[in-house]
Amino acid sequence: MRLITRSLVSLLGLLVAAISLSGCGIGGLSPIFPTPVSPNGQNIYDTYIGISVPALIIFIGVEAALLWIVVKYRRSRQPAGYVPPQTHGNTPLEIVWTIAPLVVVLAIALYSFVELQRDFQPVNNAAFTVVVSGHQFGWNYAYPQGFTVHQEGTLQGEVAPFVVPTNTLIKLQFQGTDVIHSWWVPAISGKTDAVPGYDNFSWLKIDRTGKWKGECAELCGVGHATMQIVVQAMSQSDYDQWVQEQLATKKGAAASPSS
Amino acid sequence: MAATTVLPRPKAYDDTFWKPISLWLTTTDHKLIGIMYMVTGILSFLIGGIFALIVRLQLAAPNLKVVDAETYNQLISAHGVTMIFFFVTIFLTGIANYMVPIMIGARDMAFPRVNLLGFWLVPVSIILYYSGFFTGGALNAGWTGYAPLTEKAYQSHSLGVDFWALSIIVWAISGIMASTNFLTTIVALRAPGMKLTRLPLFVWAQISTSILLLVVGAPLAAAMILLEFDRQLGTQFFTTAGRPVLYQHLFWFFGHPEVYIMILPGFGMISEVIPVFARKPIFGYMSMVAALFGIVFLSMTVWAHHMFTVGMNTYVEGFFMLMTMLIAVPTGIKFFNWMATAWWGSIDFTVPMKFAFGFLATFLIGGITGVYLASVPVDTQLHQSYYVVAHLHYVLFGGSVFTIFAGLYYWFPKITGRLLNRNLGEWNFWTLFIGFNGTFLIMHTLGLEGMPRRIATYSNEAWAATNLIITVSSFLIAFSVLLFIINIVSSWRGGEVAGDDPWHANTLEWATTSPPPPYNFERVPPVRSFMPLRDLRESGELEAETAAQPAPAH
Repeated sequence: MRLITRSLVSLLGLLVAAISLSGCGIGGLSPIFPTPVSPNGQNIYDTYIGISVPALIIFIGVEAALLWIVVKYRRSRQPAGYVPPQTHGNTPLEIVWTIAPLVVVLAIALYSFVELQRDFQPVNNAAFTVVVSGHQFGWNYAYPQGFTVHQEGTLQGEVAPFVVPTNTLIKLQFQGTDVIHSWWVPAISGKTDAVPGYDNFSWLKIDRTGKWKGECAELCGVGHATMQIVVQAMSQSDYDQWVQEQLATKKGAAASPSS
Repeated sequence: MAATTVLPRPKAYDDTFWKPISLWLTTTDHKLIGIMYMVTGILSFLIGGIFALIVRLQLAAPNLKVVDAETYNQLISAHGVTMIFFFVTIFLTGIANYMVPIMIGARDMAFPRVNLLGFWLVPVSIILYYSGFFTGGALNAGWTGYAPLTEKAYQSHSLGVDFWALSIIVWAISGIMASTNFLTTIVALRAPGMKLTRLPLFVWAQISTSILLLVVGAPLAAAMILLEFDRQLGTQFFTTAGRPVLYQHLFWFFGHPEVYIMILPGFGMISEVIPVFARKPIFGYMSMVAALFGIVFLSMTVWAHHMFTVGMNTYVEGFFMLMTMLIAVPTGIKFFNWMATAWWGSIDFTVPMKFAFGFLATFLIGGITGVYLASVPVDTQLHQSYYVVAHLHYVLFGGSVFTIFAGLYYWFPKITGRLLNRNLGEWNFWTLFIGFNGTFLIMHTLGLEGMPRRIATYSNEAWAATNLIITVSSFLIAFSVLLFIINIVSSWRGGEVAGDDPWHANTLEWATTSPPPPYNFERVPPVRSFMPLRDLRESGELEAETAAQPAPAH
């Protein structure tokens, strides 16, 4: 009996934990990604939700069955002298629980593969390409207009933002210059590694103005935790003005050493 | 059987633990070597746990400076290497070393002196790794040691990476020796009547594990040798100018099967424990064996699922995704068979059985999160985040550690002749179960919210509360392990005497004395099914002994 109460208490604890997980608004305990702001992030988010349907059914079903075994078939609950049936197996049953999981995982794999083909192919219709290169410890964003944003890693305050216009498809071309880094802003999309030796590609198309944070996701040395990322989306006009400022700053910087 | 008639035994052998040091150093007895493996494993578990606790202190709140970033990177690397290479794998080799020969009715391993050498390479490997700490800093690139971060250009000040690479090469050689030995023993030294279809499932698990380690041990050593060529001879295999991703392929061709090397023996132990305490034969013996080999095959076809963000053809990614998800099928077969074994049973929830069910309840979560991670699009979000840390601990803590505890509570009476204390065992289980879930369940959410793994600190205040809960829970795990150590030490000295067969078990190791004599059996009992001891009990051939035995402990 003491045991049953104990298992019930621990189950209750797990339930409380599960409920608090699903409760929104509690900082650091969200069971889901941040609200996606780019279509590829949105599709990953939907895939995650889609997989969660069979996952939660299986999780609840199997845990409930385990709990049923724990409560129902413990020796103290069986009649005295109970001898369990000495079954060695049941072929039809075993075939069922081979085929059923097979069908489920094939469905999940196919569902995931569709999303993989949709959002993880190289894009050709981008408005422009930004070359993102990782180094120990920071990111450089080379714009087609000829200037570069340097996002040097720090934990003190915010790093310089990587600015993009809203509702514009931008191709990201990743390069590694020393070790492997990984560029990750969860609200935008999944991560892409910046590997020395070849270029990787991703894209974004942010649908609203705002700022989103991320950081380097591949251990790259002593300053790994400082490689913060900030992406800022502006309206097209604000963006154009920002580009002019960047070009002016660049000219000024280029002019000053020669003078 | 004839276990009650005592033949003369060497005096030193009968004092179960306090044998002369010369015996420990030179023994080729698989049981003593097994004990040394297990003790080495447990000591590594404690050391790796201390590393983890320091890491948790550092992460308890934002912007802490308990340790600096360089030390932090060395600690997480040492935690991973210690737990994976020096604890789980070594402990499981030890318990198999002890049990496999007895379970198949053999007198020793096939190559006792290879066994001796294989074991003594383990402390060499461990000492090599920790030597790194005294040469300006140990490995600081995570237990995976991705190049080019491990290359000389980024590590010029220390020899830690070299010592790690050498340590892993020695470890791989030791593992290959042990695997060869297990396979030969099981093929060649089975008792009369012990057909392959009558092998205990733990022995089948050890066959599959040994095959895996034989196949993947050499590629691991190869990766380390190439890395050393880069570092010491100036080659360019994995350098910034070379092909860093090749290292990942080689490493994970070992690394993913290694997960199964760490879990299949645990599966085997669960397959021994559940039938004994549910008083039912294992459900679907043949499909359990087939599932093991399904896992062995599939586990060698999934390595690149650790690399979905390095940039691969989407069809190649799709292949690795599919193969990864297919592993859920044989694993599911095993899972359902265990549940069917317990279903309609008469279950005695002893401590080993509690750990077995703790394993089922938690490993399920690791299996389900594994399907999320296998999905390429979802993985690009979850990869290298705290979601992965949570997932891998559900697999390796909920899986390997819970099964190791189940196996230890189950076999400790055989190894020492004494039962582990049941009250302490109950406390051990519940604190571990609550502490483990408290630590790792909410860790998933940190990953979903964007906290990468292996960061030395963070400034995001939203993650503070979760991290604090995790740190507090991790100390509950530490408390539980402390109870476990107290239980081991005190029960070994003065625990309740177990008798030969305290659990009314099914397999041969319980037919001999506890602890078994050096030669294991005076006369090997006849084997008529995969539950030879139960056959003897039911046919009345064991009656004389069961009358003389203490009642099963409850």
